[in-house]
Amino acid sequence: MLRMALPTGRILKDAERFLASAGFPPVENLSQTRKLMVPSQCGRLEYLLVKPVDSPLYVEQGVAELGVSGKDVLMELAPDILEPLDLGFARCRMVVAGRPEIRRSLDNTLSPVRVATKYPRVARLHFEKLGVPSVILKLSGSVEIGAVLGLSHYIVDIVETGTTLRENGLVVHEEVAQCSARFVVNRAAFYSHLSEIGAILEAFKSATEKAHV
Amino acid sequence: MPQPRTTNARDLAFVPGTELVFGPQAARRRQVSDTIARVSRGWGFTDIILPSFDDRRTFEGGDAHDADLYRFMDREGRWLVLRADFTLIAAKALAVELRREPRTIRASYEGRVFRFQPSGHGARVEQSQRGLEWVNAPGSTFDAATLCIAGECLSALGLHDAVLVIGHAGFIGAALGEKGRGDRALLEALDHKNPARIHELARRRGLDAARTELLAQLPGLCGGAEVIARARKIAPEPEALGALDELEVLARMLRESGAALNVLYDLGEVRQFSYYSGMMFKVYHHGVGDDLGGGGRYDRLFDRYGLDVPAIGFGFDLARLTEALPRTEVNGAATATFASAGQGAIALRMLLEARTRGEQAILAGEP
Repeated sequence: MLRMALPTGRILKDAERFLASAGFPPVENLSQTRKLMVPSQCGRLEYLLVKPVDSPLYVEQGVAELGVSGKDVLMELAPDILEPLDLGFARCRMVVAGRPEIRRSLDNTLSPVRVATKYPRVARLHFEKLGVPSVILKLSGSVEIGAVLGLSHYIVDIVETGTTLRENGLVVHEEVAQCSARFVVNRAAFYSHLSEIGAILEAFKSATEKAHV
Repeated sequence: MPQPRTTNARDLAFVPGTELVFGPQAARRRQVSDTIARVSRGWGFTDIILPSFDDRRTFEGGDAHDADLYRFMDREGRWLVLRADFTLIAAKALAVELRREPRTIRASYEGRVFRFQPSGHGARVEQSQRGLEWVNAPGSTFDAATLCIAGECLSALGLHDAVLVIGHAGFIGAALGEKGRGDRALLEALDHKNPARIHELARRRGLDAARTELLAQLPGLCGGAEVIARARKIAPEPEALGALDELEVLARMLRESGAALNVLYDLGEVRQFSYYSGMMFKVYHHGVGDDLGGGGRYDRLFDRYGLDVPAIGFGFDLARLTEALPRTEVNGAATATFASAGQGAIALRMLLEARTRGEQAILAGEP
């Protein structure tokens, strides 16, 4: 039996629906259980319910052979793991947002822009690539307030529908990346369980293709 | 009596990622190291002891990023670098030997390499390695023999289900093409076996359909020797085919020699900024999340010292090997004699006699 780290929170409901459609439904409802480990009905997988930001670490360290993780988290943590499939759900965009009148974004000037974000690595790399000096302020939530109250010029965050941004009077200035849930695999596990992981990957692939038709 | 400098526990902390092993764990580590040393000697390798630091140029061209090297300046204002890679510094040392007398050299080494790693990932800045360098060792027989030595080390340690994953630097280089070889984002996508990202990058870089298709198929080219034949169908370039021929010969040689090795072929395996030129491999075990070691062929490495010398080698990560070992007791000495220090010369005589009998002698302090 292979262990699979699943992120609780926003992604979990979609992940559960996806796993059922791929033929790996859990023995009980993952969103309602208080257990941290739940097997699949077929007995081939054991789901490990973890914080979204921890999922890649469990896989990288080999505690879980497999995992599901948001691309946003993968971009921030840059773990040394395999990422063989885009699962297609939990789609969102990583963007640079701010008040509409802020225009000095993407000019290369000597005074740094201030950026509030839950994704300091992603934000730093993005502004580095643009050649724009930046001061990154790491927040843990409600990042929008940073830009609304002038803590920062910009925020770097994920948006799904853009409602939160609109309601707080912010606009998207630039897209950093398209994000979605990804199937991730530990390197050693990939080779040690090549045929079983290959079979699971094929099942997941056809489930994502079905979902897109 | 000097006063203790402090009783602050913070003064007892070490730099994260440095190596600190003691007690049974250290005994297991010693056993691992001795086992590999024994196998290396069995194949005619002799020890080489190498400097712990050297001129920074020695470590250029390896897979250690420049920013991750530990650098310091000596009193003469020379920039020095702590050993970040064994093969690079061994090549320099062996180049000296080869200029004196060209021949096949079998050298085995053990020691630490130093590379900066950000904390928080459980990563280590110091790694103990034991490995070997086989110089003036051209062709598939040496490739196969190197894999056999690595395999013998693993089975001598009882790691019978470890797997040797074989790739080829020439094949992946040909598949990437001139433009792709220096493309870090593309190499990273291949390294993570991420076909979606490979497609996206190929589109952005304007690669043609055939190249895109080839690159996107690389993550799936992993399995038994049959993947070599599968790769042949999608890789028409002569350079790629030459590499596949080499792997065919290697696979046949392993089969015909009766080598009982647990091997897989992964033709999508990439190594960024590495010196490998031919067959390369990594060792994995299901008990440990990352590779236990690896190696390969580097026929062009000695060019920098003006020598045309084909060479091959590998190194094991001793901490990860120890982690992979089954949790059995390490055998201590069979018999031990105990004596108390309070008994002075009598105690010492007893222990000296024990030692002449080859027993373990334990001098205990006052209770």
